[in-house]
Amino acid sequence: MQSGALALLESRYLLNPLLYGLCGLALGLAIFDVGQPRGFDFLHQNSPTSQKYLIETMGGGVALLDYNNDGLMDIFVVNSGRLTDPMRLPESFQRSDPKFWNRLYRQNHDGSFTDVTEAAGLAHAGDTNYGMGVAAADYDNDGYTDLYVTSYGKNVLYHNNGNGTFTDVTQKAGVAAGGWSVSAGFFDYDNDGHLDLFVTRYMEWDTAHSKVCARQTYCPPGEFPPTTNVLYHNRGDGTFEDVSRTSEIAKCKGKALGVAFNDYDGDGFADIFVANDGMEQFLFHNNGNGTFTERALESGVSFSDDGKPYSGMGVDFRDYDNDGRPDIIVTDLARQVYAVYHNDGNGAFSYRSLQTGMGSLSAGSSGWGMRLEDFDNDGWKDLFVAQSHVMDNVEKIDPSLHYLEPPLLALNHNGRFERANSGTTAAVAGRGAAFGDLNNDGWIDVVMTVLGGPAVVFRNRAGNAHWLTVSLVGTRSNRDGFGARIDVNGQTQYANYGGSYLSSSDKRVHFGLGAAEKADIRILWPSGTRQNLNGVRADQFVQVKEPERP
Amino acid sequence: MHVLIALGLAWQTISPEAAQHVQAAMEARKQGRLADAIAEFKKVTELAPDLAAAYVNLGAAYMEDHQYGAAITPLKKSLELNPDLVGAQQMLGYALLAQGYAAESIPYLEKSKSQAALGIAQLKVGKLSEAVANLSAALQKQPGDSDLLYYLGRASGLLSKEAFDTLESSFPDSARSHQALAENYSVLKQVPEAEKEFLDALRLRPDAPGIHLALGELYAAASNWSKAEEQFRAEKQLQPGDAEPAYRLGSALLEQGKIKEAKAELEQADRLRPGMPETLYVLGKADSLNGNAAAAEKAWLQVIALAKTGPITAQAHFGLAGLYRKQGKTADAEREIQEYRRQAAKPVEK
Repeated sequence: MQSGALALLESRYLLNPLLYGLCGLALGLAIFDVGQPRGFDFLHQNSPTSQKYLIETMGGGVALLDYNNDGLMDIFVVNSGRLTDPMRLPESFQRSDPKFWNRLYRQNHDGSFTDVTEAAGLAHAGDTNYGMGVAAADYDNDGYTDLYVTSYGKNVLYHNNGNGTFTDVTQKAGVAAGGWSVSAGFFDYDNDGHLDLFVTRYMEWDTAHSKVCARQTYCPPGEFPPTTNVLYHNRGDGTFEDVSRTSEIAKCKGKALGVAFNDYDGDGFADIFVANDGMEQFLFHNNGNGTFTERALESGVSFSDDGKPYSGMGVDFRDYDNDGRPDIIVTDLARQVYAVYHNDGNGAFSYRSLQTGMGSLSAGSSGWGMRLEDFDNDGWKDLFVAQSHVMDNVEKIDPSLHYLEPPLLALNHNGRFERANSGTTAAVAGRGAAFGDLNNDGWIDVVMTVLGGPAVVFRNRAGNAHWLTVSLVGTRSNRDGFGARIDVNGQTQYANYGGSYLSSSDKRVHFGLGAAEKADIRILWPSGTRQNLNGVRADQFVQVKEPERP
Repeated sequence: MHVLIALGLAWQTISPEAAQHVQAAMEARKQGRLADAIAEFKKVTELAPDLAAAYVNLGAAYMEDHQYGAAITPLKKSLELNPDLVGAQQMLGYALLAQGYAAESIPYLEKSKSQAALGIAQLKVGKLSEAVANLSAALQKQPGDSDLLYYLGRASGLLSKEAFDTLESSFPDSARSHQALAENYSVLKQVPEAEKEFLDALRLRPDAPGIHLALGELYAAASNWSKAEEQFRAEKQLQPGDAEPAYRLGSALLEQGKIKEAKAELEQADRLRPGMPETLYVLGKADSLNGNAAAAEKAWLQVIALAKTGPITAQAHFGLAGLYRKQGKTADAEREIQEYRRQAAKPVEK
């Protein structure tokens, strides 16, 4: 990198050399510069205790969104709260203290950020809510991205007023859920043009019924009863109906941490994959009539290839091998290997962690937030994983494991993943991760949260390959275009910024084009409308509006 | 008790009065009135003090009444009068052992060829190799005996410890001493310490069989597959005729996605030691990953035929379900899933 560019980068990202030293040359040049941009000073507060309350090791959601429609990605980060040691009843997490607020950072035109939490009306997330994750979407089709924040306690839906402020509309909308919510995501399961909401819940647990397990560790999920997930149907009038029972989602009790959406069998209806901790995974097939059938075992995505359960945490549901069918990747605990399920068609998947190289890459690591994105714009989706073990004293139990880990960056070479230089070897407790183009240069950046620490920005150093980013504006479909299938030069993307863990990514759909200077775009909207754009010039942001008539 | 029957003819030589007491004692014993039986047999010993059978039966009655301490004296007396009474020797050995006189019990148990009790007595006095031999022999005759299994396990463990203690005290700088230490660290999951000791062992005796294998297993347990591969390869070079290193090497290669190499090693392991379900299961995985569905199916069906039940059988059914699903054989896949569920016994939670 030239000295002038480096100076500019340092002024914008204020790299901390103590924490984020560059990797050695063994893995090639770093893809990212790692640090905290000026003004982005979020510090996650989880308040660890000797009680080993499970909630204290699980938090840290992050969303990339353009809340004020100025064309720049802003960052919303979920804080957790204060825990006393032990907790007293009634529970209060002192979220009125600014230290424990969720934070919204508006991006300025020079790449720095300004904390606008208070002005946006997002301060104080409710004393009874210990924060977890976030889902961002325009649920009321008004053109402004709204926020749904999950918690241990009650969840909060913030409606974006379109003037830089948000209003808590949870009660009116009827989406508080309750219990211990973790990841959530918006999607349109019935293709009625209104985004519905899926909320994962971890287990039946509260601070009064917590326990500490042997050797002063966090207890495994098997110590607590499973619980149901929640599906809310958007009525289109600003309110939602809890359809968990009628949709048959609540038939299955699990220990859900992650959720991702895609139409795996191409029937035009969005299906749901739920990553469960320490038990079988769930694949809810959308029957197209408002109900779902859990088919993970029959489809080959419930267990490892040896038929063993694992600790599903983060998840992505996208096509890693460019065969046009969405695959599934699930992160889990060390010794379990991140699961790669290849979509073979006909509703069946095969386990491909070993063939794809994921076995070697992940055997000793624990993964949380993650996503398949084309970081080097070569036309193949790569993988970034925020990593760290769940137990902060895991070394005492197994010295060959580590609590703190650097994130994993694995580049995809024709469907096989190989470790690459992420730009840092610093070991941290990575949790949430959101993905998007922070500086609109056509190269995907990452924001990763750190449990009890400062969030980190991975700014893509960019290169020479071409790219194309598509923004969807639904008319008959939901305005965000969630659920649209976009094919560009032999690659497929599914418009949805859910997945990962606790996090929500840039809703623009990105394609690396490699050497191609032009692209043919084919869009299948959730409404069923097909739209083609041929010979589109590379290296630009293209906004595509859905035809109002089929 | 068979002793009473065996000595039946001896009663013919005693006085009518003593015979009356014998009759009463036998009747009382038959009716489970052991205290009365003991009292009657005592009278018999008083009336016929030179009759070995009287003492044997008194001792047997005490034994039956769990009065092992009281049984010792009459049984000893019976053997003074007739040293060839095998039943008395056996009972005396049991009684002494039950009272904690293990060393004293051994000659009696040896003479009566009571291998199980003898093995236990030998374990108690620290004659560990003899104990292991006798307990193993006894277990062959009574394979489902949990007491014998326990004592054999304990004797083997102590024998093993004794050998390792001697190894460490007498040859502290030997390769095998380092290996033994390494294995202890390995059990305790102290990986760096275990690794250091294994490497020390290899430095001293790079060609000693088993050390590379054990170090490889340490690396494999830590999911450090490339290092594990290196060690298994070294072990295989030392012991090309042993199936174990080939199996381990094949598994390590498979974990790294080196499918063709893995398959070759696993096939070799299967040739060297045919019919091992573990090898066949991993071989089936390699075949499946290599796209050879027919070979994978064959291997997994063999696993099921060999193992019949247990986790590896469940895994084979799970693998077959995946194969059939991919081939569009929905009914077969469903059948295998059902079998998997049955074998894995509700594998819902860890």
